[in-house]
Amino acid sequence: MAAFKHFQNMYDISLKPRLLRSLIRDHLPDEKHPFPRPSELSIVVSAIKTHGLLFESCREPVDPKQVDNWKTAIDAWVERLLLLASSKMPDKCWAGICLLGLTCQDCSSDRFLASYSVWFQKLVAQIQPPSASHFVKVASCASLADLFTRLGGFSNLKKDGTSHAGKLIQPILELLSDDSSEAVWEGAVDLLRSILIYFPASVHRHYDTVEAIIVSRIMSEKCSATISKKFVYCLALLPKSKGDEVSWSLMMQKILISINAHLDDAFQGLEEETKSNEVIRHLVPPGKEPPPPLGGQPMSGEASNQATKASEQFILHRVSLLVCSCCTMLTNPYTIQVTIPVRPLLALVRRVLMVDGSLSQALLPFFTVIQQESICSDLPLLHLCTLDLLTAIIKGVRSQLLPHAADVVRLLTEYFRRCALPALRIKVYSIMRVLLISMGVGMALYLAQEVTNNAIIDLDFIAYGWGRASYNPNSKATTEALHQPSHRKRKHSTITASFQVQQSGVGREVETVKNKQVTPIAVQIAALQALEALLTVGGALRSESWRSNLDLLLITVATNAYDGEWANEEKGISVLSFEPNCTWAEFQLAALRALLASFLSPSRVRPRYLSDGLELFRRGKQEIGTKLAEFCAHALLALEVLIHPRSLPLVDISSRSQGEFVSSFDHRLPENLFSVSQKNNNCTFPGDILVMDDPELDDDLYSSWLGNGEETDVPMSVPDKQLRSAQELCGKDVWQATGDCLAEKILSDSTGALFLMEGDGGATGAAHMEIGGNGNVIMTESEQVQEIVRNNDVEAQDKDIVISTGSFTLIEGKPKKGKAESNRIYASKVATTISSFSVVNGMDSSDPVAAAATAKSTPAQGGLITTLISEKGRGLSLEYNTDASMDSFPDIVDGDPDSD
Amino acid sequence: MEVVIASSPVDAGIGCWDLHSGAEQLRYRSCTSTPHGLACVGQRFLASSQLRDSSSSSGSILYWSWSKPQVEVKSFPAEPIHPLVSNSDGMYIIGGGSSGAIYFWEVASGRLLKRWHAHYRAVTCLFLSDDESLLVSGAEDGCIRVWSLFMVFDDIGMEMAKNPYEYSFSEHTLRVTDMVSGYGGCNAIIVSASEDRTCKVWSLSRGKLLRSIDFPSIIEAVALDPGEHVFYAGARDGKIYIASINAETTSSNSYGKHIIGTLSDNSKGVTCLAFSKDGILLVSGSEDGTIRVWDAKTHNIVRIYRLAKGPVNNVLVVRRPLYSNRQTSENSHSSFSRRHAPLLPPPLGKYVNSTDENVDSGAVSVPQTPSSDIMDAPYLSYHVLTKQISELQVFFIFLS
Repeated sequence: MAAFKHFQNMYDISLKPRLLRSLIRDHLPDEKHPFPRPSELSIVVSAIKTHGLLFESCREPVDPKQVDNWKTAIDAWVERLLLLASSKMPDKCWAGICLLGLTCQDCSSDRFLASYSVWFQKLVAQIQPPSASHFVKVASCASLADLFTRLGGFSNLKKDGTSHAGKLIQPILELLSDDSSEAVWEGAVDLLRSILIYFPASVHRHYDTVEAIIVSRIMSEKCSATISKKFVYCLALLPKSKGDEVSWSLMMQKILISINAHLDDAFQGLEEETKSNEVIRHLVPPGKEPPPPLGGQPMSGEASNQATKASEQFILHRVSLLVCSCCTMLTNPYTIQVTIPVRPLLALVRRVLMVDGSLSQALLPFFTVIQQESICSDLPLLHLCTLDLLTAIIKGVRSQLLPHAADVVRLLTEYFRRCALPALRIKVYSIMRVLLISMGVGMALYLAQEVTNNAIIDLDFIAYGWGRASYNPNSKATTEALHQPSHRKRKHSTITASFQVQQSGVGREVETVKNKQVTPIAVQIAALQALEALLTVGGALRSESWRSNLDLLLITVATNAYDGEWANEEKGISVLSFEPNCTWAEFQLAALRALLASFLSPSRVRPRYLSDGLELFRRGKQEIGTKLAEFCAHALLALEVLIHPRSLPLVDISSRSQGEFVSSFDHRLPENLFSVSQKNNNCTFPGDILVMDDPELDDDLYSSWLGNGEETDVPMSVPDKQLRSAQELCGKDVWQATGDCLAEKILSDSTGALFLMEGDGGATGAAHMEIGGNGNVIMTESEQVQEIVRNNDVEAQDKDIVISTGSFTLIEGKPKKGKAESNRIYASKVATTISSFSVVNGMDSSDPVAAAATAKSTPAQGGLITTLISEKGRGLSLEYNTDASMDSFPDIVDGDPDSD
Repeated sequence: MEVVIASSPVDAGIGCWDLHSGAEQLRYRSCTSTPHGLACVGQRFLASSQLRDSSSSSGSILYWSWSKPQVEVKSFPAEPIHPLVSNSDGMYIIGGGSSGAIYFWEVASGRLLKRWHAHYRAVTCLFLSDDESLLVSGAEDGCIRVWSLFMVFDDIGMEMAKNPYEYSFSEHTLRVTDMVSGYGGCNAIIVSASEDRTCKVWSLSRGKLLRSIDFPSIIEAVALDPGEHVFYAGARDGKIYIASINAETTSSNSYGKHIIGTLSDNSKGVTCLAFSKDGILLVSGSEDGTIRVWDAKTHNIVRIYRLAKGPVNNVLVVRRPLYSNRQTSENSHSSFSRRHAPLLPPPLGKYVNSTDENVDSGAVSVPQTPSSDIMDAPYLSYHVLTKQISELQVFFIFLS
């Protein structure tokens, strides 16, 4: 029947049952047919996965007949699988079990709920008989694990699931205690993990046995690393099966005691004896019974004495596994609140990090070189996992780290000074990053100096190669010098010098650096990320001592990272890379991220290297399709706010009469945004430009605008004219005339503003305000004009609201610098602001500056338009900056205000 | 659910209203709160420091859970506590004492972790910075101090430092009545109000006074516009003045320099202010026992609640977890809420336990949503299958 009925396309639902049937027919074994080649089975799996043959649902409603057809096809499929699973032939049985697991995962909920207990029986039969092959056991474990994972998704079946899972614990324990193959252990432990995650209560009755078996597997030397990790994870999950605070704490206590005992063995002769007791004292209060040992049997201490010294290496391996289990317990969610023993944990971390393999003089004779070599070779691994533990502690206790934060920081900084291996440094940087981000500026006050000093060493591939810097005690002295203010200047100047060298010969410098053995890229990336975090949280508070150094360092690094071209992310594996996955491209990204943080982090003056940075971001953005380009686009957006600071009023005056729109805007219905042209008023200042440019703008508004401001006799709806008048105005003489006098005003008035800040209350008046309000000018005026028209009585108030913009940093920064340079950019804006203000203000004669501005700027009405155009077209204002400001401003600074 | 909670120095209980519907919720009984003495601890429960008659030497702090009107936990600190704040996850409660000391408690264990002498006169208000690493305290003598909490806990660093505090501002001449901080971590601004009839704007990063604004009346409360364009100052004369934070304004105004408007309905003095989450509804408490909700955009009153005959001295807008919403139908939900509402922590300790021998520091890990687990357990059989198929293939090749 179906032979001639063609499908619509490959999405056609009637294709699915047909495909499924052919798979059953052609690729699956049955009673009579022997097992095909295993590759056949992968065809089946891939077809099922690709076409979703088992989903039994589709997006659009379809003919119920087709659904039925599909359903019967799946019925046949399941039937065949069950048949295979009970086959005597291990290979057929294996195939059936595997595909059943896949079906658990993919089939529809209804089907799963209807048949999971049948499937469970079928699968559980396969892990019990001792005769079954390993292959079948592993496959059944995996399929059962998937069955429970799926079952865990149905919250109403917790009880049923738990009772099913309870039946499995005994068989699992048998599998685990068998000395069978590693693959079986792995399958069993995976299954145990799924059960512990979804149905922990089922393990309750077997708690102690499970603990004992897991611990014995962790302690045995037979398991490979990946399987040991899985056991460790199960151990950490085990307390969940009881779900109370006591069992969690007991498990933690047992693990810590066990770790400590192992360390006693490993660190004999490397540290003072008291260190061990310190941890124990925190763990087991005097007068209290210590808990039973982990896993039920005594292992370390007496037991390990029996173990030969040859297994010393293995002791550290065990410790790192146990530490890993601690980390999991700390970071994984638990059902109820538990008390984390922070003190002993930190004592333990301190104990490990303090051991660096050095021997005290007294012990030298008792220690062979081989012994020392063996311990030193394994210490870095131990340190690494201890640092992981520290990270886990920080994550686990969250804000409650506070009372211990100073301790942690002191430990970490002390360690950082000595730490010289790349992997360890990366870890320390990442911990510092976590600390900074989570604990904020208070932490930044503590860590700033340390992070900066270390990062300067790691990143300073200009003056100090890493190889020398961190090993040579002399170079430490140079960093120390950075602390001292007396030396800072010198250091700063050397960096500046090298930066200039860099600027001139970027390519060459980078070449030489590349050929030298320097800090691994991964470490540099970690350092950059730490700096980024530092600037993000603590760039403003008490940062004077390090901020300028850091800004310089970051622009240098970013400029160097861009060595002519951005690296290709895909194949850009540099010679420098320490780990294969740390590419030069990642380094560039990290450098740019840190650079952005350095720009955005609050400062009192415009970031010094802003335009260099902008150039880098612009060029980076052109690397289409890379992460770097995405980031550069983001950076440019973020910096736009820096360049046009906004302090937006809550009340949008134009919207007062449009209450309806405001509410719709608040509820974020973007489709309303442009449905009425007048609504453009609500889109900050580009919107206002739109209004000006838009010939279709709302008639009412437009005429009111024209009607009110009698100065605006230039018909603004004609773009040509607008442009022309702008060009007229851009004629040097006019511009310079206005610019000159205004720039002078800026200087005098902003000095006045400074006094005002100190509480001196001067009659500075409006000019000050206008200096602050550089970004929003256009919005200001347009709204005000509307406001005047609509709502005369509130005019005075609202004008104030609208005009108040800008920031203090800007105001005070300028007079301090007292340079034309810092005023340059703002000059054009201020010029336009003032003249436009006078327009709005209707020649308010009480306002001296505005009056002056109107008097000086010859065509007062033109000022308004110029504002709009020079704001809008970047080209124009840029042109102005390069042409006029460069040569004219120095004159302004010390020139006569009345020179024109 | 976003609710307004308010308390009064006379015993009228803590009122609780749904901000958006206006429906009154449970009223929590027997509370005579101090100014700034009401806090919602980690959205889990309410805490309030109590006014005490002058004869008693100890203070009193009470806890209420969301679902019960009665006081559940009573603590008696060593001295009367005035202002009370809690950090956002509710792990700590910080109180300012009448002697000028600041108390720092760990909520979960109730232990007093730290007590330090912060001011010469009683502490009047407290708040935590954005990132909760700085504590700002104001006192009766007009002094404002900024503390780094890390420094407070770092005994070694404390000894080395010149001052235990980061900043000390003494520009106010009389009692500090309220303080509020803006956005921006360490670059935030602080606005403080004082009985000397001024509000002052400070820069946290530079530790400097940026602006001082004179008001016609004493300002009792300040609230900051979320866009930090203006701030609202509730005055004893019943008006809420709107003052600009950083822009220059002309002095032609009828109220004074930098003051650009008022919200007013000719009522009695405004004692406290709070902003809702959306930054548009401004809630004010008044001497006459009412709480007004203003629309900051239109300057209109949206709603009025009545708490007491006496004055209101605390209003907060807080988010309240939904489960406690169900106290109405007792039987069906009581077991539910009992299971889910965590029990209240033990009372707060009186003294710092200096001999910290073996006591666990009591750090508590909060149970997180178990959904993160799902990611840890991906389906296995597919991987096992493909792995075994490839192994088998090797085997087959070996055979043939």
